Amino acid sequence: MSDAIKTQGMWYRAGPEFELHDVSMSVPTGSVYGFLGPNGAGKTTTIRLLLGLHRADRGNISLLDRDVPKEMPDILQRTAYVPETPHLYPSLTVAEAVRYHGAFYKAWDESWTDELFDRFSLPPDQRISKLSKGESGKLLMLLALAQRPELLVLDEPTEGLDPIVRRDILGTLLDYVSEQGATVLISSHLVHELERICDWVGLMDQGRLIVEMPMQQFKNGIKRLRIIDPPGTYDNTPFEVLAREPVNGGVPGEMILVQGWSADMAEYFSGVGASLHEVVDLDLEDGFVEMLRAYRAG
Amino acid sequence: MFQVILSTQWKWARLPLLLATITAFTIPVLSVQGVGGNQIQGVLAFRVLAAMENWAVWYPLLAAAIGLLLAVTAWGPDHRQGHTYALSLPLPRWQYAMLRLGAGFVLLAAPAIGIALGSVLASATATVPVGLTAYPVALTIRFTLAAILAFTIFFAIAGGSTRTAGYVLAAMAALLVGHWLLDVATIPIDVVGPLLERLYDFRGPLGIFGGRWMLIDV
Repeated sequence: MSDAIKTQGMWYRAGPEFELHDVSMSVPTGSVYGFLGPNGAGKTTTIRLLLGLHRADRGNISLLDRDVPKEMPDILQRTAYVPETPHLYPSLTVAEAVRYHGAFYKAWDESWTDELFDRFSLPPDQRISKLSKGESGKLLMLLALAQRPELLVLDEPTEGLDPIVRRDILGTLLDYVSEQGATVLISSHLVHELERICDWVGLMDQGRLIVEMPMQQFKNGIKRLRIIDPPGTYDNTPFEVLAREPVNGGVPGEMILVQGWSADMAEYFSGVGASLHEVVDLDLEDGFVEMLRAYRAG
Repeated sequence: MFQVILSTQWKWARLPLLLATITAFTIPVLSVQGVGGNQIQGVLAFRVLAAMENWAVWYPLLAAAIGLLLAVTAWGPDHRQGHTYALSLPLPRWQYAMLRLGAGFVLLAAPAIGIALGSVLASATATVPVGLTAYPVALTIRFTLAAILAFTIFFAIAGGSTRTAGYVLAAMAALLVGHWLLDVATIPIDVVGPLLERLYDFRGPLGIFGGRWMLIDV
């Protein structure tokens, strides 16, 4: 499978206190890639680098098999971008903004635009500055989808929107993706939302990409294990131990957080004189939080 | 593509542009008011030339003001959004800038038409003394070229980063403050005067702002 987005050794100094370090990410073509990370992790900066809005200090970036920034017009012709903060001209009406945007895209689809207008119930004569947050979000998604992109880069597209609008927007996005086989890179704080729609996940913190893997592997591979008679150290494990912590409430043993776990690895514990008492599944949010905690603890 | 760029620029600039167009029409019309009547030809010619000279300063000022206004409105909305939208559109940056520049040139047609109509009307209604000639076409061409030049210069400055525009303004402010300080300290060094003279006499494109802007002249 080829990659719709590929970066290798990408570095960027955004200021005296923040830097992207050696970011190498691969977003497989046709995937819905959830880009997670706390505030200030570097997600938006990464997205801006991908779209040629910033220039990387070092490293290679390619989108849709084209070089960034050399071939940006061609890339942007096939890529839709929804930024974190609406970037449209506030003095235009919705209809004017749609007409303006559509004039730049060869694949702009008028009938699909009309359909999206109806679906999102957008007021065509309303000024953009007067739109509600939900209407702005819908308009940005309309503009993104009506250009029939092969790649959608969405930076917190549902931030601050109510659940109904979020569902409308994401439902329409998923319909499009399933019909067209487009690739989506979506960054969001709403981890549960990403868990529902993404098949790949990348986790970023402090300017570094900590982990990148298929969603199922991420969810299945990260577990919390309760160990009785734990060894002093875990050596030569077939999995990676991310964190160790005592069990609360006077319960014997300890809890360990592991990555890359599978059931057949339970034998390891008998080999070190310990026993595996319980395997706790984590949802994406727990996995995300634990992974971050373990990463920050070193 | 050009059409939508033009329509946005028109939307952002239409009110001040309308005002500028009315002003462009009005200046030549006002310049010939109150001159004429039954006077000796020599006296009349003198009065007409004096009136033209009084109003002449407003043409280059208006051309520069329109250029500045159109340049600021052409880039203002992009500046306010940090240029994110413009940069995420699928065309090279130079092409986007050229489209905005071209749209500005088209919009300059409005004040140019204003001054053309005003000049023709003023020339037709004024009593032009023997030995003097009305130059409505020449005045219109000169005004249009000056406005295009002013717009191009301000467009280039406004299209850069806020920092660049800040440097240009800071340099101009520093020059004026320096001049004032020298004046206060009674140090006989004139910095601004020679600079303005150089600009005025410069035989480059800026020279169009100097010279005689006369609707009626010898």
